[in-house]
Amino acid sequence: MSKDVLVFIECKEGTVRKASLELLSKGKEITEKFSSYLYAVVIGYQIKGIAEGLKSFSDKVIAVDNESLKDYRWDTYMTVLEQLIKKYTPGMVFGASTITGKDMFPRLAARLNGAIISDAVGIDLDGENVRIKKPLFGGKIISWVVCKPGSTSLISFRPNSFSIEKRSLNGELIEETVEAPRDSRLNILSIDKSGSKKVDIQEADFIICGGRGMKGPENFQILEEIADIMGGRVGASRAVVDSKWREYDDQVGKSGKTVSPKLYIGCGVSGALHHTMGMDTSKVIVAINKDPNAPIFQYADYGIVDDLFNILPFLKEELKRAKEEI
Amino acid sequence: MNIIVFIKQVADTEARILIKSDKKSLEIENKYNMNFFDEFAVEEAIRIKEKFKDSLITVCTYGTKKAIEALRTAIAMGVDRAFLLDNTNLDNDDPLIIAKILSSFAKKEGFDLILCGRQAIDDENANVGAMVAEFLNIPHISAILKLEVIDDKKVKAESELEGGREVIEAQLPALFTTQKGLNEPRVPLITGVMKAMKAVIPAIDPCSLGIVKEDIDTKASKITVLSYEPPQSRPPVKVIDGETPEEKVKSLVKALKEEAKAL
Repeated sequence: MSKDVLVFIECKEGTVRKASLELLSKGKEITEKFSSYLYAVVIGYQIKGIAEGLKSFSDKVIAVDNESLKDYRWDTYMTVLEQLIKKYTPGMVFGASTITGKDMFPRLAARLNGAIISDAVGIDLDGENVRIKKPLFGGKIISWVVCKPGSTSLISFRPNSFSIEKRSLNGELIEETVEAPRDSRLNILSIDKSGSKKVDIQEADFIICGGRGMKGPENFQILEEIADIMGGRVGASRAVVDSKWREYDDQVGKSGKTVSPKLYIGCGVSGALHHTMGMDTSKVIVAINKDPNAPIFQYADYGIVDDLFNILPFLKEELKRAKEEI
Repeated sequence: MNIIVFIKQVADTEARILIKSDKKSLEIENKYNMNFFDEFAVEEAIRIKEKFKDSLITVCTYGTKKAIEALRTAIAMGVDRAFLLDNTNLDNDDPLIIAKILSSFAKKEGFDLILCGRQAIDDENANVGAMVAEFLNIPHISAILKLEVIDDKKVKAESELEGGREVIEAQLPALFTTQKGLNEPRVPLITGVMKAMKAVIPAIDPCSLGIVKEDIDTKASKITVLSYEPPQSRPPVKVIDGETPEEKVKSLVKALKEEAKAL
């Protein structure tokens, strides 16, 4: 099995997702060490521009451009990837642990009879070994896992696991034509992408999360404004979603999304275990809560003990100022 | 309608988990539940049966004898029968192998529809559902939020996309993974609990499903856990002082910028 790394690129609104660039950056580090190739695979329709843009990040960019591949479906995309993996025989295939990644990678692993590690957060190169870091039990335990030598390894990583390193490679662009018939047993009746303009919550660098202490749905407006200033997303605790103040899409925690932004700010979030399980890999955690005994302070790097309604207007102004300075 | 529900018994989120001194095994406090996302699968199966009365709901798990408790919970909720695929002497955590075992069970029992939770909350893998579907060569739809069974040949499902939703019509047999928002799982009635306590739950040796032991034992695993370690502990919280809210915020933003480099 080769030491080549193949990264499945995800796109959104005509651009490459940040999570995919993170994987290319890490992939290059690995292939530099093993003197092997890094492949970026991009699948879709009218993706020439995207493929060109990936050349600086990878040794080889493989583009499969076809109208029938305009929208992601596991049946078509998986068939394309399967054939490319068989042709280029990478030892490792990376993807992001997103809705798409979680839908396709396991099924692809089954088809290839490969090894799969999902929702990983790190990688360690130790001699010839590639050790994968994967949290278990909501982050209470970290495991280090290896794939059996000789098997194709499919590994999906949580977005924000790696930093993006700008490269100036000039990878070769390879255009492949792959037959990808649709599974006739599935018929997509409608697609609603109304939320796609929003930053994906799992990919967001910045999340400001409201808990029960926000007192009502109307008070989330200021969180939206702060998230907009920061280019991030508003999150919500389970109590908030259960009270129908926010959509389920926003829910952070065990029963919602697992997130690891660079900066997480919890406002009136008590920090119950089922919530912290979904955010404790965040790089920096700030808690704003008037109760100094709220459990969230055990997870936070910085805390403000005060009424959040007094704090938020100033926070908005100060973050706006800080953003403008950059 | 022949419905199979795959569930997993997982450690309760509050359970204490210790790493043993060899760093290769875990000691988990004796607090277990049915996986959170699987409850939606069980509930959905029961709701389908309420509409299609001649349905048979079979719930099944791969696990230790202890996992029978989770199967009893499903019976208490209202499923018809339960089976344990007993993993004694097969200690194996590779999703590929588990999916092979579960799909062999489904093949043997026959099915129109398979439901399971979107992911297990212990390993957060989200692997086994789609893998089972691949081994059975049936379509799958992940993380559904709505399921409408039209007849025994066709369903309409709504599922989550990046930044949106899609509505898909699928031909049966098919597999669906369930998540929060699909339904409100019922709390078992006392009569259900009584029935579950008395239910006979057969333990099946996976090797009796036509699988060769060498293909599913520990050595067949394509992944190996080298070690476990505790997460890096965070330093204690720095509580930001200040006379007024404005002062506190100014100090916080300064610290985020200069100390944490988070802005």
